[in-house]
Amino acid sequence: MDNHGIARVARTLRTDEQRRQDVEKINKYRQLDESIRAQASSGAYDPALFQLTSRLLRLNPEYYTIWNVRRRCLISGLLSKPSAGSWPSKASPSSSLSDTTKPSCDESSSSSSAAIPPDPSFPTTGKSGTTAELTGSDHQQPPSESDVASDINMLQSELAFTMPMLLEHPKCYWIWKYRNWILEQAILRLPAQAARKIWEAELALDSMMLTKDTRNFHAWGYRRRLVARLESPALLGKSMVEDEFDYTTMKIEGNLSNFSAWHSRSRLLLRLLDERGLDDKARAAFLDEELEYIQEGLNVGPDDQSLWYYHRYLVLQIVGRATGQSSIAPALAVEERVAYLTKEIQFINELLEDYGDIKWICKALLEYTLALQELSQGSDSDGQQDDPRTWLAKLRKLDPMQAGRWDDVERKLASHSTQAEQ
Amino acid sequence: MAGTQTGILPDELQLATAKHVKYIQSLDTRKDEYDYWLTEHLRLNGLYWGLTALYLLRHPDALPRAETIDFVLSCQHENGGFGAAPGHDAHMLYTVSAVQLLALVDAFDDLENRGKGKGKAQVAKFIADLQDRETGTFAGDEWGEEDTRFLYGALNALSLLGMTHLVDVDKAVEHIAACANFDGGYGVSPGAESHSGQIFTCVAALTIAGRKDLIDVDKLAGWLSERQLPNGGLNGRPEKDEDVCYSWWVLSSLDMIGRTHWINREKLIGFILRCQDTQDGGLSDRPGNMVDVWHTLFGLTGLSLLGYPGLDAIDPVYCLPRSTTERVLGKST
Repeated sequence: MDNHGIARVARTLRTDEQRRQDVEKINKYRQLDESIRAQASSGAYDPALFQLTSRLLRLNPEYYTIWNVRRRCLISGLLSKPSAGSWPSKASPSSSLSDTTKPSCDESSSSSSAAIPPDPSFPTTGKSGTTAELTGSDHQQPPSESDVASDINMLQSELAFTMPMLLEHPKCYWIWKYRNWILEQAILRLPAQAARKIWEAELALDSMMLTKDTRNFHAWGYRRRLVARLESPALLGKSMVEDEFDYTTMKIEGNLSNFSAWHSRSRLLLRLLDERGLDDKARAAFLDEELEYIQEGLNVGPDDQSLWYYHRYLVLQIVGRATGQSSIAPALAVEERVAYLTKEIQFINELLEDYGDIKWICKALLEYTLALQELSQGSDSDGQQDDPRTWLAKLRKLDPMQAGRWDDVERKLASHSTQAEQ
Repeated sequence: MAGTQTGILPDELQLATAKHVKYIQSLDTRKDEYDYWLTEHLRLNGLYWGLTALYLLRHPDALPRAETIDFVLSCQHENGGFGAAPGHDAHMLYTVSAVQLLALVDAFDDLENRGKGKGKAQVAKFIADLQDRETGTFAGDEWGEEDTRFLYGALNALSLLGMTHLVDVDKAVEHIAACANFDGGYGVSPGAESHSGQIFTCVAALTIAGRKDLIDVDKLAGWLSERQLPNGGLNGRPEKDEDVCYSWWVLSSLDMIGRTHWINREKLIGFILRCQDTQDGGLSDRPGNMVDVWHTLFGLTGLSLLGYPGLDAIDPVYCLPRSTTERVLGKST
């Protein structure tokens, strides 16, 4: 019902044989669906029902209700009862637990990497999970070591089960949501170190998903959640802002057009600076470096929107707003800001000499020239400046599709200059 | 701006109204196709997409009203929420579609008389209970996952039901403000990248809450209008491909902030019309691809916002015909 990128083929009449096969498939699917519903409504969320959900979800991972049935099976006995919260800190965290959990972790993570088949259409993976699907229904409380071991097994096998589906359907909301829920169960049920291992493995998986599709919106959002949790006390975490900042650099070097990475960089930057505890001079030096970095990019890809958006972000930092919001270099004096912006405008003017017909260059010049005018009003460094109308006239030629926008800008400029004359 | 050039468009670039009506009517007759069963988790949404499209095409009676109401009510749970189809779990997404459908066919009385529990109030309670009172945002169901899609859905349905007082609207607004990015856009949660679909949900939620003053209009309009590609189609994020559904997400957002004239109207009309299957009806994501009812609706709502002739006006906030929201809300939005 939601087709993306699938070529249109004529709805040809099916042969009798095809029709017969379809009917057979439908009947099998509906029977499976019916048995799940019947058993779920009887309230018996047992291992047998759990296995039925495995079968159906492999056929249709979008069927959200079945994921919910599966969750109910897990919390109705396949997983231990969650601990009351103080458990991770009370249990002597060192040797005994990590000794018992480590082997099963390694074992499961090797089975989960085995679950990443070279051919993502491989339909029967998750088998490794089925042995564990039947275990763990018996437990006492408070959580014993065997509870922990069996929970780890169960949670790992759930992650392995959904792995091939995620590879095949990387934009399916319900799979991401289910994995996130499984990870939260790890926090609820496992000692913090054991839970942390699972979350760390998931971050590695997320990186792999972002290698396959560098813009996957789900994977970027998921990454932010993973990192926030990995930084939290619940997982004995500490700040990962340096690592994540480096990650954006790596993704950008892989592909300059990756706006998701540029965006992420813009969200990490200020925290990074605060945590580094840099003084004003060092912050200004950081701004210089970022400007240099984006300029290098623009020299290579002057028609790349992603780069221009990030440049615009940095210019916003330069212009600053008197709202008390933090910025990269909040201590810059107005004259310094004017100097920074003038330098950027100069750089773009040089780009223009080589690439006279790129609309993004003129857009930046229009916007920054106006920003400079505004900024200079409060300073004495009001030297010779370009007339924004020059850029507007060029934009009308280079970007006629946005004629309505340029009309509005022109009207605004006119009303400003009338006000100025009065 | 005048001049849809419809008079001089070649045949394949006319709106194939009759074909589209037939296509939508055919959707529920495909029970011998495997795909029909694989998409049951979208049934209630699908009915909303299809019926709204039919209203825009001025064929509101092309699906029988009584059966529509019966089907919607058959998806309801005791807690007031709706699932995608009978026996499917309740979730915000389907509950919003149910309320929209009942608004569309003017059947709130049926909900009141035949719905579970306390009728409208029961539905509103299901939605209100999904608000995270600390952050202001909403979950989709009891299993968590928060997303500005659900926040918008909640305000959409609650305002149609006249029950926004059940939730903390100010907190919800605060949450949206926290989702704003430097480029003027909004993401799925604080920190997330701007995305046209998410921008629609945030701008529409702010519109319902009466807080459009929080939007950086020129910056957002600049970003949105830069979604248009040389072929006329719109993309959802920088450096991505075009897709017909963004004709809705981008354009409705531009409409709510009064800037639809920042994109090229004729080129977008041409792109949407080229996505039609003029043989069997329906619209696809891009020219030549498989059609579906989702892209069919969002192509048509795009054309409607562009003032394309022969289509009823769509409300950019609710994604319902303006005639519906005017009737239900007693005013134009």
